[in-house]
Amino acid sequence: MADIKLAFVIQRPPYKSETSTLGFTHAISYQVVEMLLEDGQNVIPTVCLVGEGVLNLIKDQKAMENYGVTSVESHGKNSLLVDLDMLVCKEDMERFGLAEDRLLDAEDMGADKKLQIVPYAEIQKVLEDSNHLLFF
Amino acid sequence: MGVLTLACFSSLVGSKSLDFTLKLAKTAADKGHTVNLWLSSNGTMIGKAHQKHLKDYSHAEKPVRELLEKGVQICECEACALARGIQKPEAIEGVQWNAMHWYLAKIYSSDRVLHVGGE
Amino acid sequence: MKLGVFVNDYKSTVETVERLTAEKLGLIFIQNGVFHAALKENGKPSPLLDKTGNLYALSEDLATRGLTAADVDSRVKVVTYSDVVDLIFNDYEKLAWL
Repeated sequence: MADIKLAFVIQRPPYKSETSTLGFTHAISYQVVEMLLEDGQNVIPTVCLVGEGVLNLIKDQKAMENYGVTSVESHGKNSLLVDLDMLVCKEDMERFGLAEDRLLDAEDMGADKKLQIVPYAEIQKVLEDSNHLLFF
Repeated sequence: MGVLTLACFSSLVGSKSLDFTLKLAKTAADKGHTVNLWLSSNGTMIGKAHQKHLKDYSHAEKPVRELLEKGVQICECEACALARGIQKPEAIEGVQWNAMHWYLAKIYSSDRVLHVGGE
Repeated sequence: MKLGVFVNDYKSTVETVERLTAEKLGLIFIQNGVFHAALKENGKPSPLLDKTGNLYALSEDLATRGLTAADVDSRVKVVTYSDVVDLIFNDYEKLAWL
């Protein structure tokens, strides 16, 4: 009976492939994993966005309008809505010239969680504290 | 002996990541380890029966059936498969269909996890 | 942490690999990642070879690309699938595919 921690590290940019989307959806699935576990067993995910992965978080995406698919932005907002911790690499945001106000939030959905913009060193610490690493 | 859970998100045709995953799964199973395999995204193509083995393309039906015979649990993402037009009656018998929480639950009980993400 | 990284590409994942740190870091070159072990681009070995002393290249993926152990930098150990399974269970507790 123990918790295991998983780091979902999203490093791929959006839309060229579905990889980043699947990072979010797999992390969100922690909500129902208890159906297949014993009492007291928990999976605790943390989503980390590094490198080009931070580009998934730019708000006002028009994927539904242009491709008829749920935007990566929506998956990001849903991740916040289900209380996932989402860490965004500060150095990579600066490298791409992205200010915090360009990134999504899920306040309109009633989410309590917000994106946490942190130095890479904090993301490295998450990797060290996690039992397993899943790079998307 | 340990428990290894593998995932593969890459396609059967057009990438060799799935070939790598299957070979690693077979080698680990042959050495006596317990192996689980989760297939998502384009990796779900692997679960379709009646793959024709053309020499220019990777072919996975035979190794998948061998892994199943060795007791490897293989499960593919149902939504990913359905989105690609793969129906359950066309699936290789023994390959499970489920959702992403199957993968997380297998990870819970694993000693090692190798997540082979998509391109 | 003891981290084994499967480097499966030649160019696209270098940045992420270079950032990673671990108490024990292993780089397992597979697929096009084996070019890190064998090429000297502009006469220089891949900078990833300076990242750690624990370097491995999958023999099957070298051979598939027309490379042999003789092409591989002396710091890199050529391994089989069986060796890779042993590395996974005996040497590294966490794994990453980059």
